Amino acid sequence: MDLSKVIRSETIKLDMEAATREEAVEELTDLLLHVNAISNRENFLKDVFYRESLGTTGIGNGIAIPHGKSKFVNKTSLAIGRTKADIDWKSLDEKPVRFIILFAVTDEDKNSTHIKILAKVASNLGDDDVCAKLLKAKSPEEILAIFSDR
Amino acid sequence: MKIVGIAACTSGIAHTYIAKEKLTKAAKELGHEIHIETQGTIGTEDELTEIDIKNADIVIVAADINVGGKERFAGKKILNIPTNIAIKSPKSIIKKIQADLGL
Repeated sequence: MDLSKVIRSETIKLDMEAATREEAVEELTDLLLHVNAISNRENFLKDVFYRESLGTTGIGNGIAIPHGKSKFVNKTSLAIGRTKADIDWKSLDEKPVRFIILFAVTDEDKNSTHIKILAKVASNLGDDDVCAKLLKAKSPEEILAIFSDR
Repeated sequence: MKIVGIAACTSGIAHTYIAKEKLTKAAKELGHEIHIETQGTIGTEDELTEIDIKNADIVIVAADINVGGKERFAGKKILNIPTNIAIKSPKSIIKKIQADLGL
């Protein structure tokens, strides 16, 4: 899987300061803003929190996948982060979250290659072993390798 | 037993594919055959074949939206669940089906 189309090492942060779900989404959104993957911080956040309001994105195993399909996304991208603190995400397994993957998807992405990569990332998260490895990874490179190996 | 199904979530980006993976892994670990079709933003993938459906003991529709092509399952036993349940407890779902069907 060629993750380089949707993620750069600048949008991976393994020492996030966030202590709440809101802060975590904001911290990752700032990474996307920094690489111009999104055009408007506040409006993109609104779209992500709208999705959060529909049902939890805490999929269990300490992982959450907030996502925004939004016209304020310039380029379909991922931001990945691990927090120093446990975060309450109302997860399916009721356990706290430490690892977050923010999916930013353009409103009308005609480039299905990008979405296919995102779908592939999501399938990998259905594997408990992958989740355990992500929680322990020591560098952005290691995280990219966990996905690329599959 | 033989399982077929569909996974589809609201935005068609993530939960669809996680649900598919979870159900597939759980079924295989429990020794069953399984084929899950995904209906996501990129359209339908891994489409079920007529033979798959004909031979299936159960159809699992793990979806948060209306799925397409339900008429293909006429006469089959169908279990409708939200994707969250498929992600949260795939093994118990499959074990329960097995117990209910007596297979």
